[in-house]
Amino acid sequence: MAENVKKIAHARHTAMGIEYKRSPMDRVFMVLNVTFFILFTILCIFPFYYLFINTISDNDLVNRGVITLLPQGIHIQNYIALKNVSDFGQSVFISVTRTILGTAVMVLASAFAGYLTTKKEMWRRSLWYRLLVITMYFNAGLVPWYLNMLGLGLTDNYLGYIIPGIVQPYNIILVKTYIESIPSELEESARIDGASNMQVFSRIILPLSKPILATIAVFGAVGNWNSFQDSLILMANTPALYTLQHRLYVYLNSSSNLANVMQSGGNVSAAMLNTKVIQYTISMVTIIPIMFVYPFMQQYFEEGIMLGAVKG
Amino acid sequence: MTQTKAKTRGGIMVILHRVAILFTCAAVFYPGFNPGRITTEISRYTSLLTSCISYKSLVGNIGRALSRGWVQASTFRLLMAASAVLLIGIILAAIGGCMSVGNDRMRFYGARFPLIGSVVMAVGLVLINVAHGQIVAAGNDRVPPNVSMGFYLFIVLTVLIFLTSLAILFLNGKKEDLSESKMGMKEEYHLFLLFLPILALAFVFSYLPLWGWRYAFFDYSAGQELSMENFVGFKWFTYLFQNSATRADLVRVIKNTLAMSGIGIVTSWLPMVFAILLTQINSKRFRRTVQTFTTVPNFLGWVIVYAVALAIFSTDGFINNFLNNILHIKAGTNYLMDNSHMWIKMWLWGTWKGLGWSAIIYISSISGIDPMLYEAATIDGAGRFGKIWNVTIPQLMPTFFVLLLMSIAGILSNGLDQYLVFENAMNHDAIEVLDLYVYNIGISNGLIPMSTVVGMAKSLISVTLLFSANQVSKSLRGESII
Repeated sequence: MAENVKKIAHARHTAMGIEYKRSPMDRVFMVLNVTFFILFTILCIFPFYYLFINTISDNDLVNRGVITLLPQGIHIQNYIALKNVSDFGQSVFISVTRTILGTAVMVLASAFAGYLTTKKEMWRRSLWYRLLVITMYFNAGLVPWYLNMLGLGLTDNYLGYIIPGIVQPYNIILVKTYIESIPSELEESARIDGASNMQVFSRIILPLSKPILATIAVFGAVGNWNSFQDSLILMANTPALYTLQHRLYVYLNSSSNLANVMQSGGNVSAAMLNTKVIQYTISMVTIIPIMFVYPFMQQYFEEGIMLGAVKG
Repeated sequence: MTQTKAKTRGGIMVILHRVAILFTCAAVFYPGFNPGRITTEISRYTSLLTSCISYKSLVGNIGRALSRGWVQASTFRLLMAASAVLLIGIILAAIGGCMSVGNDRMRFYGARFPLIGSVVMAVGLVLINVAHGQIVAAGNDRVPPNVSMGFYLFIVLTVLIFLTSLAILFLNGKKEDLSESKMGMKEEYHLFLLFLPILALAFVFSYLPLWGWRYAFFDYSAGQELSMENFVGFKWFTYLFQNSATRADLVRVIKNTLAMSGIGIVTSWLPMVFAILLTQINSKRFRRTVQTFTTVPNFLGWVIVYAVALAIFSTDGFINNFLNNILHIKAGTNYLMDNSHMWIKMWLWGTWKGLGWSAIIYISSISGIDPMLYEAATIDGAGRFGKIWNVTIPQLMPTFFVLLLMSIAGILSNGLDQYLVFENAMNHDAIEVLDLYVYNIGISNGLIPMSTVVGMAKSLISVTLLFSANQVSKSLRGESII
């Protein structure tokens, strides 16, 4: 029994191209290999660790540049103090609502459009489908896009975040491909029971395509949370509509701006806070949601990239 | 025989009917066709829909005129009401338009909606005209009256919708043989109507911007009107190359773009190597951990990457602190203000952010390789590297090839965010890629025609490259990449 298990494990390992017998050369290679990955992993996470220890350490020490590897004088005042940075709260609100709303409508629209494009009966289906797919491969350019949004009244307007993102051809293709893999008998039997298109969609297709919808939802949410360009270009005249990333960009570029906001903010003494620490803290707040959600969603991200690969 | 004839006659009418309704619906959203722009003081960016739902945007530019009493607020209230009436008429017409794709009976009954709708629209237009009359009567030079193109357009459309619905009612109505006893719609049209909103959105946000390419042929700056007076033909196209300053800029920008994309393409085998090396490690836990941590940066926006860069490389960042505190070397350089090796640095940031993520596709492919191939290689006496060289790499080649072709097709599109956030006065010349250049001249400096020309050229070249890459893929692998 145990021998069998060992055999299977061995087979799997050889399948991955891994040898058990180790020559000295091989050992050296393995050590170098593992070292490389450890170093690269540290390189990837250390900056975030550094940001984090600077936000929780004594602000005075941070200012003097003492905090390099370990936190000192731990406190969470900086995070509490953010509530006094008025623009920041507004930006969090904008980013959170647009992430939820934007993702929800995009997923629903992709599911619905994906379902409809599987319907061969649709009048001129392949024409419409092609017109939709082509939009992935060209764009008119930044300025015509901006002028179009201006013409539609979607600049300096919250809807400018939501409406343009509803139709995502790539996601529609993913959902379509997925629905096509669902056995058609399920839909047929519902048809026999007299279900309409909408009933089939909401009772059968929607529940069955949950995995793919979760995948596009995760990608959509990250995209919305990281959105920077549309805020920068479309909402230039309305600071109340800046997303969190855009707000952070403004603060990173003009610390005087941030200092003013903090002074007008109120009860925390200026000595306690400084722009550098607040920059770090706001960066952390922007990072944390993704860091927290990522490990749970990693599976969906990976499925997503493989789906894209299958599609080619 | 007679029936077919009737159907054809009806057919043309029905098509005209639908086109008129469809066009009317589209015009609701487009400010250029706003019939309610009764004075040039109303913003050029106010569509009919906006005038109906937001009084604030409607009178946005007229606040002063209202408070001084140059025009009456009641005029604009009337205008808003008139726009709303017009919109109700259009909605009725739209309902009829949808019903017109149903069977004869549905079309026949459905035609009543646009008939009533067009009458309602006419009332709306009359009311707009009354408001216009009030502006004329106010006679103030600072609020000049205006009859917009949209007004005439809507008159034509209203008449057209009225006549076509009448025609449908008469053509189908005269015969008492509406064979179907129930209203219904063919499945194919029903599905199409359901899909129509999606198509409309794709059209508005992906195809409509192409209409903006016309700015390339005009002498235009923000806020102006396009007219034949400022039509300049291909002036901007030749200007780009004749003006020595812009020519130099363009050469520099293209050099930056090609260099940075080039470095990316030349090193595009890195994720594959990363994946191969990682899969050599036995411990699943170790592989998993590495994968998790190295893919995280990919999901953070470029602004965050810049924040990280500041924290590490700025004057009071980690590097300088480390040198000062741990190694006791006096240091205080702001590495981000440095202009040297910009191309490599940008590539390094891109690699730091994306390497782990790009490797995932190869890692998945490796785990999908048939174990038989490795077993056969073992029997042939291949060692670790023999297997990598003779089995793994050949198996990964198709994926690599597709990704390589895609990145060659996207050689002009580096994206904007990365270069925008890292740009500063010192490194501007070396970091400006095509996307950033278009942003800088078009959005920041307001040179709309010139940036449109550059954007146009970029789009056309990119599409050509993509299709060429596709052709290459087809001829080499017999498979298309798009």
